[in-house]
Amino acid sequence: MRRALRSGRPGLIGSPFKILVLNVVAWAVGVLWITPFIGIFMTSIRPFREVVLHGWWSPVPFTPTLKNYVDALFNPMFSLSRGIINSFIIAVPSTLIPVGIAALTAYGFARFSLPVKRYLFVTILFLMAVPQQMMIIPIFFLLKDLHLLNTYLGLILVHSSWGIPWITFFLKNYFSLLPVELEEAARVDGATDFQVFRKVVLPLALPGLISASVLQFAWVWNDFFFALMLIFDPDKMVVTQMLPRLKGQYQVDWGLLSSGSVIAMLAPLLIYALFNRYYMRGFRGWAMKG
Amino acid sequence: MTSLRMSPTRISFFIPALILILVFVVYPIIATILLSLNINPIPGTEIVEGAPGLENYVKVVSDKRFLNPKGVEQASFPMGAIVHNVIWIAIHLPLTLVVGILFAVFLQYVKGGSIIRSFIFLGMVIPMIVGGLLIQFSFDKDLGVVNLLLKASGLGFLAKTWTIYPDTALFSLILGSVWLWSGFTVTMYSAGLSSLPREVIEAAIVDGADFKTILFKIIIPMLKPVTLTVVAMTILWDLKIFDIVYASTQGGPGGASNVLALLMYEYFARLGDYAMSATVATILTLVVIPVVLLWIRSIMRGGEG
Amino acid sequence: MAKGVRIAGVWKVFPPNVVALKDISVEIRPGEFFVILGPSGSGKTTLLRIIAGLEIPTRGSVAIGDREVVNVEKGVFVEPRDRNVGMVFQNWALYPHMTAYDNIAFPLRLKRMPEEEIKKRVTEVAEALGIAELLDRKPGHMSGGQQQRVAVARALVKQPDVLLLDEPFSNLDARIRVTAREFVKELQKKLGITTILVTHDQADAFAVGDRIMVLRRGETQQIGVPEELYSSPANVFIANFIGDPPTNIYKLPTSHRLVKSLGIPQGVEEGYGELYIGIRPDEAAALKPGDEGHLEGRVVLVEYVGSRRYAKVDVGDGVSLKVLLECDANTGDPVRVRVQKVHVFAPSGERLATLTY
Repeated sequence: MRRALRSGRPGLIGSPFKILVLNVVAWAVGVLWITPFIGIFMTSIRPFREVVLHGWWSPVPFTPTLKNYVDALFNPMFSLSRGIINSFIIAVPSTLIPVGIAALTAYGFARFSLPVKRYLFVTILFLMAVPQQMMIIPIFFLLKDLHLLNTYLGLILVHSSWGIPWITFFLKNYFSLLPVELEEAARVDGATDFQVFRKVVLPLALPGLISASVLQFAWVWNDFFFALMLIFDPDKMVVTQMLPRLKGQYQVDWGLLSSGSVIAMLAPLLIYALFNRYYMRGFRGWAMKG
Repeated sequence: MTSLRMSPTRISFFIPALILILVFVVYPIIATILLSLNINPIPGTEIVEGAPGLENYVKVVSDKRFLNPKGVEQASFPMGAIVHNVIWIAIHLPLTLVVGILFAVFLQYVKGGSIIRSFIFLGMVIPMIVGGLLIQFSFDKDLGVVNLLLKASGLGFLAKTWTIYPDTALFSLILGSVWLWSGFTVTMYSAGLSSLPREVIEAAIVDGADFKTILFKIIIPMLKPVTLTVVAMTILWDLKIFDIVYASTQGGPGGASNVLALLMYEYFARLGDYAMSATVATILTLVVIPVVLLWIRSIMRGGEG
Repeated sequence: MAKGVRIAGVWKVFPPNVVALKDISVEIRPGEFFVILGPSGSGKTTLLRIIAGLEIPTRGSVAIGDREVVNVEKGVFVEPRDRNVGMVFQNWALYPHMTAYDNIAFPLRLKRMPEEEIKKRVTEVAEALGIAELLDRKPGHMSGGQQQRVAVARALVKQPDVLLLDEPFSNLDARIRVTAREFVKELQKKLGITTILVTHDQADAFAVGDRIMVLRRGETQQIGVPEELYSSPANVFIANFIGDPPTNIYKLPTSHRLVKSLGIPQGVEEGYGELYIGIRPDEAAALKPGDEGHLEGRVVLVEYVGSRRYAKVDVGDGVSLKVLLECDANTGDPVRVRVQKVHVFAPSGERLATLTY
């Protein structure tokens, strides 16, 4: 009660003791939640022998080393430095292409009258939720016939097509919230549809475009299944694809795997940290996709 | 919202997306169905052979890796991929919902609650393949935090590498997936909570409700639309689960943690049986469809005009 | 028995240093319909929330009847649920997932009242409010006026000592507003329940209030019956805030022609170089040029408000007054302005005198 008087607003939870317990428990669970991340990081920066003998949590002996990182980045079979480059080569166009194309479509959905718009929209929602597994076999043979199997371009095309439905869904909602008066003013001033789109809509929708791009990039970067099915050449593999192959046949080398894991998640973590607001806004759109 | 009449230029807004989607999404979906029926989607190609019909479905259903009646009867793994997916949903869904609501509600009263929320969200940020490795790492006998905790609480005799035993492999992956996926539920529920009108909760306070009553009688019922989305998305995710299993157990040991998506991949890559692979994919999609429809309905009802 | 509310020395400071309420004291009588009127940001809703227990003052005390429900200095704080107050929120805050019946029954169920007793009470209050046929509907399927009645029913059903209404009319259409005000006023008189209503709309306040307290930036400006606020505004703010159309207010040097021609007595202006002059449009008239009056002027604008006509009259020296138009003058025509009443305020704002002619 005294605490309530001090805090200026009656608490729902009640006694200060309960609040204290709640805070302690929440923080304990919170720290526990990221322990695997801490563990994998600690393992990655010390010799694996040390980790096996003393545990990654042990403060002594502590011999910091970058050997695991060097081993992973310049692995003779699956060089993660190559993997990172490949991931970028795939992810950048696989972000720009679908965002550009889906922006057009989304604008059409938001503003043009279309006889079967509702059905088309439901179809888009449906396509967002269909498992990747449902389309990969024909795609495999299609790319094979087009001689695009095991190429960057093939994978980029697949990722782009796969990204269009959810980005359309996301941007359509975004465009619908933009004030239509500005577009109408531009039309009255004599702008064509494309001019309205390029000069008025896109600049206004920039935050939405960034959100969609950030999420699509993270999604493509994190993807494993498409790459696994469509790329075989170790020189062209993306980083997520190489990672499980570092495991080794009989003995799991956690030294190598831990540094590999850190390397593979660095890009999405950075994007999450740098574009946090855009990321979280896009996440709700992406979350629909699964 | 204004609606502008259709014209040839306006149709062109839709063309690029339409082409890519038709070629790389719609055609493959239809083709997969055809393949599962032993029909080559493009006449002249020979991806599948054999007489057209439902024969593949019979074969899949009677495949022990898909459904293992003996395992189910004796309640011992492997029980078959489809059963494993069902178990996955049965455990993962309620746990992740409870975690989501509890954290979303209680973190409001915790100093630095948003930091804890972003800790929990990390599981959604990283590649799922890394997520799978982290799960395996955490359940490792010598390295994992799980066994560290067991030892610390005097249960050291239970310590083992959980992912390599048939009895525990699937369960450890499921628990791991709660850890990864709760970022989703916490985020969705937190957003839902913050959009609840504060006045309604205050009205309940003035009406004499205590915290528990407000939580169960006001907050949770009002979050029903969020719950619907979260349930649908979680089930979809559980059914499509692949990367986590591939990275950690490869479905092992002895198929004890196999799942539908992985079975589909096995038919494709290890056995080169494209018809069977397409059949598993189609079954997977059929299972998914009711959930998708539920989800679409909730979206179309909520705000899409 | 109705209970009064005593507010004594209440301060509210929101961290870091936003002063929402500044030393508010007022005694609300049992059975009174009391209105807290103020523009947005005046602290009126904060005061209401403090009475409800949703907010805790930084200093001061509130008592309902003989019982102190909060006294910061003595460390007394009674939870909202133990204060026996009913509250109607600005957007009515109905529980969207419950029917009207369940909404109204909610406070009683929390008291673990037997179901048949609940049913009796809900039906009773629903009939009194004319919403008996709505009881199995959910809020989403009701009009604004109906939702408001359900919210009032929910607040009344537990037979509270005090009824708190936070801007209850602001979400209603202009037409329904008038009926809703009458309805609330009649209901309050019938039940004799002490009622505190918060509003930014003087029409609301004047329609329902027995007494009105005007707040501005957390400070009490004036407390009084509606007639008092209109006829003897305590300061320039009240004069400006109350009355429609707003009072003509000019800050003028005492040597100004207008001040002279209004004949403000020596005693009033003594010691001041400047004064605020306030003339209500309804207490001055524009007449034909030859008629008796105080000022000469020229009509700049003619405006119709309902059946009345107002003229904006330029009386020279940069002063123009809006007054009732009581002759046939049009824009551009000369008129003579007769003033019936002038409020004179000191430069600091407080009223010095009201002169009637």
